[in-house]
Amino acid sequence: MPEARRKPEALDGQHFEVVVIGAGMAGLASALRLAMFGKSVLLLEKHFVVGGLNSFFARGGRKFDVGLHAVTNFPPNGSAKASPLIRLCRQLRIPFEELALSPQSFSRIAFPDVDLRFDNEFAFFLSEVERLFPREQDRFQKLLRTMEAFDAYSPEVAGDVSARSILSEHLREPLLIEILLCPTCYYGSAVENDIDFASFVMLFDAIFRQGLARPLDGIRRFLDPILNRYEEMGGQRRMNLGVKHIVTKNDNVERLELDNGESIFADHVISTCGVVETERMLSSTSQDENADDVGRISILESIAVFKEQPADFGWEETIVFYNDADVFRYERPDGLTDPRSGVICIPNNYRYPNGEQMPEGQLRVTCLANYEKWVALDEDTYRSQKEICRKAMLDIALGYLPNGKSMAEDLEERTELLDIFSPRTITKFTSHLDGALYGSPRKSRNGSTQFSNLYLAGADQGYVGIVGAMLGGVAVANNRILRGD
Amino acid sequence: MDKEKVKQIVLDIIAEIAPDEDLTDVKPEIRLRDQLDLDSMDFLDIVMELRKQHGIEVPEAEYRQLESLDSSAEYLFPKFEAKAVA
Repeated sequence: MPEARRKPEALDGQHFEVVVIGAGMAGLASALRLAMFGKSVLLLEKHFVVGGLNSFFARGGRKFDVGLHAVTNFPPNGSAKASPLIRLCRQLRIPFEELALSPQSFSRIAFPDVDLRFDNEFAFFLSEVERLFPREQDRFQKLLRTMEAFDAYSPEVAGDVSARSILSEHLREPLLIEILLCPTCYYGSAVENDIDFASFVMLFDAIFRQGLARPLDGIRRFLDPILNRYEEMGGQRRMNLGVKHIVTKNDNVERLELDNGESIFADHVISTCGVVETERMLSSTSQDENADDVGRISILESIAVFKEQPADFGWEETIVFYNDADVFRYERPDGLTDPRSGVICIPNNYRYPNGEQMPEGQLRVTCLANYEKWVALDEDTYRSQKEICRKAMLDIALGYLPNGKSMAEDLEERTELLDIFSPRTITKFTSHLDGALYGSPRKSRNGSTQFSNLYLAGADQGYVGIVGAMLGGVAVANNRILRGD
Repeated sequence: MDKEKVKQIVLDIIAEIAPDEDLTDVKPEIRLRDQLDLDSMDFLDIVMELRKQHGIEVPEAEYRQLESLDSSAEYLFPKFEAKAVA
């Protein structure tokens, strides 16, 4: 190395050029990007595993992914270079093949009387829209052109344009609007009953224009190359260690006070734990000053494990977004959960290489949930309600799978293991207040804060999906720290 | 060190950043962006690698000096020379 760069050792473990708070997808990506170019980086994670919302856990000797239904943005053949996922791989110098992604079989959006199928061929999705909404063809094409002309990834994009209003300007059939909002909201909206247009475009492209994929071994397969590379580059990581206070002086962050009482000094701080969460670590913000900005969207997810492959029951789809009415409700429910709409994920139904299969069948069902109601329960009621809500969710969800209704009892008997995670679990993995799945409705796209050396990345940057979150982290590292350094 | 070597250094960096690009036929006088699939993120990487591998600093205002291999060689050659003397 011709130029001597400061290394963590030289800084006593107390002073780093960059401290990244949170080892979720955005935190990992920004930390790796900075370590690659010789920055001394410390990655701090409150939980004992990395990945944030896209983490993993073990139950009954089995490994499960937390949030991952699908890695979106799977690049279709031939269009690889323009794909955000390929751009991400380049930025992190991780060969695409190392992520071991396998494409979905096909997925569905199911509303009463309408069943729209899609796979990783955009042309098939377009033909389904045409089949179901023939009179919307011209208007739908015009909507596609509006979306193509919109640079959703720009750091300067407005984050508060309603997708619902833009869709209503373009389309006449309300059902098509609801059908487009359902999967995009579920995969990344922090606001109720809508999604900002930039996130909508990103997710539409990520889900339909590109596609869904998953590694056979789950999210760990995706996280491992990133972690290994970060360590190779000399990046430091401390787990089980949260930040208590971000101590500022004038318009600068001076140091971080950690949960264990230690102080860490940093030239730059990237916080990925959320806009409200970060503000509350700042000594200058009072607890209820930003209460309205806490996200309201949270979920209950149940996982059933059984010996058979789901295809043995005739279930060949990968994801089903379902809604039992013509209008899609995406809001904090009045009760503990709202089972009338949700997302089914069958991770067995990706096309794994050489016909390989997951050893057991898995059926995941996710519905919206009310955080306040869940945290108000005492431990016994919490446990019993999880079971009651799980059954109610499954009962409706099975109606959206072929012969699902008639399988209900059989499936209960065959189930070897059940796991349920609630809004409380989301907070444990993500540190998001109120179990907010996608963070706060208030986003800071370019990552800036009122402090010159403190930047936000992650969910509250408004980049969506695993790939989006990571590109957001990369953008903050590039634009705020590497560029003009 | 000569300008041809500087061009090779830049090409080697691009090969590292974008292993999927075919670099056999890159025209030195044409903008890299017009013949390869490189975006502003990739140009930042060229700058960062010049610093990391060769100790050469390119200020942000001058990133566009790297738009083609010829312009890169013109711009970077004196910097490599100065480095060699020092």
